[in-house]
Amino acid sequence: MRRLMVIGYWLLVIALSSFAQSNLTYELKVGMTGEVKVLQDFPETYAGEKINIKVRGERVEVKGLETLDFAFSYESTEALQNWGDSIYSFTDETGTFWTVWQNKKEIKNRAQRVKVNNAYKTFTDYIVSHTAVEKRSRGWIWWVFAGLLFAGTALYGGYILYSRRKEQSLSSVEQETLRRKRMGMRRHYGSQLYLWLLLLVLYAPIALIAVFSFTKSKILGNWTGFSMDLYVNLFTGKADAGLNSAIMYTVIIALIAAVCSTILGTLAAIGIYNMRARHRKAISFLNSVPMINPDIITGISLFLLFVAMGVSQGLATVCIAHVVFCTPYVVLSVLPRLSRMNPNTYEAALDLGATPAQALRMVMLPELWPGMLSGFILALTLSVDDFGVTFFTKGSGGLETLSTFIYSDARKGGLTPELRPLFTIILLVMLIGLVVINIRNNKHKNE
Amino acid sequence: MSKLIQIFSSRRTWAWPYVLFMALFVILPLILVGVYAFTDINGQFTVRNFAKFFTHSEAIQTFLYSLMIAVFNTAICLLIGYPAAYIMAQEDFKTPKVMAMLFILPMWINFLLRTVATVELFNMCGLPLGEGALLFGLCYDYLPFMIYPIYNTLQKMDNSLVEAAQDLGANRWQSFWKIIVPLSMPGVYSGIVMVFMPTVSTFAIAELLTHNNIKLFGSLIQDYITTTDLLNYGAVLSLVLLIIIGLTSFFGDHDSAAGEEKGGGLV
Repeated sequence: MRRLMVIGYWLLVIALSSFAQSNLTYELKVGMTGEVKVLQDFPETYAGEKINIKVRGERVEVKGLETLDFAFSYESTEALQNWGDSIYSFTDETGTFWTVWQNKKEIKNRAQRVKVNNAYKTFTDYIVSHTAVEKRSRGWIWWVFAGLLFAGTALYGGYILYSRRKEQSLSSVEQETLRRKRMGMRRHYGSQLYLWLLLLVLYAPIALIAVFSFTKSKILGNWTGFSMDLYVNLFTGKADAGLNSAIMYTVIIALIAAVCSTILGTLAAIGIYNMRARHRKAISFLNSVPMINPDIITGISLFLLFVAMGVSQGLATVCIAHVVFCTPYVVLSVLPRLSRMNPNTYEAALDLGATPAQALRMVMLPELWPGMLSGFILALTLSVDDFGVTFFTKGSGGLETLSTFIYSDARKGGLTPELRPLFTIILLVMLIGLVVINIRNNKHKNE
Repeated sequence: MSKLIQIFSSRRTWAWPYVLFMALFVILPLILVGVYAFTDINGQFTVRNFAKFFTHSEAIQTFLYSLMIAVFNTAICLLIGYPAAYIMAQEDFKTPKVMAMLFILPMWINFLLRTVATVELFNMCGLPLGEGALLFGLCYDYLPFMIYPIYNTLQKMDNSLVEAAQDLGANRWQSFWKIIVPLSMPGVYSGIVMVFMPTVSTFAIAELLTHNNIKLFGSLIQDYITTTDLLNYGAVLSLVLLIIIGLTSFFGDHDSAAGEEKGGGLV
């Protein structure tokens, strides 16, 4: 068994090594005849300067030029046609053909000011296409991974050998109990290991975001030294204006949607609870429709409704759409509270002379409060997290929430760097909340 | 006036605004999808859009490919998620609540941002962004939806049944296959539905994960519906998706109600 594991481990390493690709570095001189063909005047200002182009998987980084500090590559030129116009193309020493593309799609949003010969010029993102043949070699992460695996196997093997030697002095009965105990332990640690490995994979991308929130670099994955600048930018409002407005709209929409859906949902829950069984069934089916519908269907159907009604889409339509998919969850979190409370108290209040509004406020609300609160929080999270529905109902008026902002940002090829500290903070708050809840629960249990 | 007061003091009527709201913003839009699918740009009745779908090889291929990806993703999530849920539901597992929260916590980070970070991770490791990346990303996004319902049913399961089986001579493996797996089926079904439905309708994720190289049905719908002259054709595609969703949710409903029925295939 152990031998099998060792063989499996080395097979894994070999398989991984065949996946791992190279970090090639091309050093090019822009302006050299025969190697760089200038189609437009822009690169000429760089004549004689050295550009380092680094191929990393599918991504091409062009260093040395402030403008071209990042770029994306695409395999086929057809894909590129959709992205923009070519600026210039050139061939390097190895015969690789390069094209630099200007991304025309979102020019107005992502203009960058770049210093060229002491004069400021405005450029947008550039996309470099490459048809480079990549050598296969191992990336640094591979070495770390392999090193960890190797160290792990070595340690485990050492431990086994050590314990074997100790065992031989024991009697056969003792050996048998020890074997059983070890089986149980192994199962226990094996299952623990499985969960933690799974969590490691789940949290790896998030950890990447968190780690790279402490560096200034525009590209995720490019470490340019420790810096808190992104946090400072985020809190002083120096971040991208689009990001600031996206954060604002996300909060506004989430609050409006959560408040509206909590009110609507609570009233509906009270109504549904007091209905006849047949009606109740029909309405709970209706209630489950938006929960079953995937967001793309909810989004598209609402989009068609707004188109058919001739409503111009914007903040109001997004809010309505969010109320649509939030309210069912509020209804479902209020209903259990209703079935737990005494149904006669409301009527008793009416009999004692309270108006329905008073009875609602003074008798029902205190009982329903926890359910409403959890519904409200659920609605907030759903609204903040939503992408699909917002995407189809936001219209073309430039309204963006965080999700849609990230989407359009990612399509352009680079994320606004301030998103990294933002979500690191959100994660941290959630983690702290989890710890606090856990500690409180434990105290509760002990009492 | 007194009649009005009477109407509003009956609590039954409090659900009316919600019913009206849902009729206007849930039922009517869904009907509109059908209406748009059966009309042309000028609003005349036509079945040409449907004919186009059945002869449009790109749409059919993308549709089948998306179904396949969704089935694969659901299977992978089940294979990875079931053991995790099983381990967490064991009696000697001390911190199941914390573990469950740890699995759900990543969902508070925007899924698009996580997707971009996943792409970056693949780049750092030098892995290619193809189907493998797509499946990894989808599985990564929807795994909690599989773990949670299975964990819930396993946790509520009466453990004495397993003990009884072991007393009657079943070994660990037998008691797992004959007792635990059948009893956890409702959770498995709802997990399957909760993973399959969003995967089959996913858009944006596939685009970002593969740099636009792989197109799923959701992205295709998005392309058509946002193009004004092709809106009706987009509605046809949405209707197809809606039918798949309806079938899947029926499958989930039916089987979670039947509870102990033996598992069938997907879709």
